[in-house]
Amino acid sequence: MTDIIDKAAMALSAGLMLLGIVVMGLLEILVGAPYSPVPITNEAGDVVASPLFSPQLRTGVVLAGLAVLGLYAAYKVVTPLGEETRTGHETVAD
Amino acid sequence: MSYQSSNPLVDEVEFALDGPWAAYWIAFLRVVTGWWFFHSGITKVIESGFSYTSGPGYMRGMTDTALGGIPVWMGNNLAWLIEPGVPLFETLIGLALIAGAFTRFAAFGGVIFMTLFWVGNASFGHGLVNSDLMGLLLFVTMIVLAAGRYYGLDAIIEKLDVVERHPKLRYLLG
Repeated sequence: MTDIIDKAAMALSAGLMLLGIVVMGLLEILVGAPYSPVPITNEAGDVVASPLFSPQLRTGVVLAGLAVLGLYAAYKVVTPLGEETRTGHETVAD
Repeated sequence: MSYQSSNPLVDEVEFALDGPWAAYWIAFLRVVTGWWFFHSGITKVIESGFSYTSGPGYMRGMTDTALGGIPVWMGNNLAWLIEPGVPLFETLIGLALIAGAFTRFAAFGGVIFMTLFWVGNASFGHGLVNSDLMGLLLFVTMIVLAAGRYYGLDAIIEKLDVVERHPKLRYLLG
C-alpha cells in the first residue's frame, strides 16, 4: 500500500512539475514567439503577442506538483513508521 | 541506492548516498544554500532591524498570481509577522542549513520563501526556469536527501534519546 502511494506521489508530483515546466514550455516554443511566458510588446507598450499559457497557469501547475510532495510528507507524518525507516542513516529518502 | 530491475531505464543505476563524494557535495550544497539565506537575512537585520517594511509591500503587490489572493491578504493582514519574520526567518533558515540542524524543517521554510519569490518576482523573460525556481528546487533537494545528515548536526541530533523515542522527529531533522 505504502509502495503504491510512494509511486503515485512520485509520478504525480514529477508529472505536474514537468508538465508546467517542460511540456508547456515545449508547446510554447512550437507555436512561435513569445517563447517565454511573457507577452511581447511594441514600443508603445501594446501587447503584440501573448504566450500560449499564462505564467499563472504554468506556475500553478508546478506548485500543484510541489503541493503533492507536501501532501505526501503530511501523509508520512500521520501514518505509522515502517520498520525500514527505523534503521540507521543509510536510508535517506524516508 | 536506487536499483529497480523491473524498470530498464533505471537498471544498473546506483546512487550511493553514503559514498564520500555524494555526502561531500550534498553537504556543500546545503552550506551554500544556507549562506545564501543567512546573508540575505542578516543584511536585512543590519540595515532595517526587524522592521522590514518592504516585505508586506511585496506581498500586497503579488496580484494576479497562481496563489490567488493569499499573498495580498497576507500583506494586508500579517504585516506584524512579515516585517520581523522575513529578516528573522531568513537568518535562522540560513543558520540551520549551514549547521545542518533541523534541516528539513528549515528547508520547508525556504520552500515557502522561494515560492513567494518565484511567483511574485515573475521574472520569466528567459523562461519559467529562473534562479528563483532553482533556489526553490534546492530547498526541496535538501528535504528529499535529508541533507543535514551529511557533515551536519542532524546526524548527531537524530541519535539523541528523544529522537529515538519519537522517530517521526526525523521528518523535521535530516
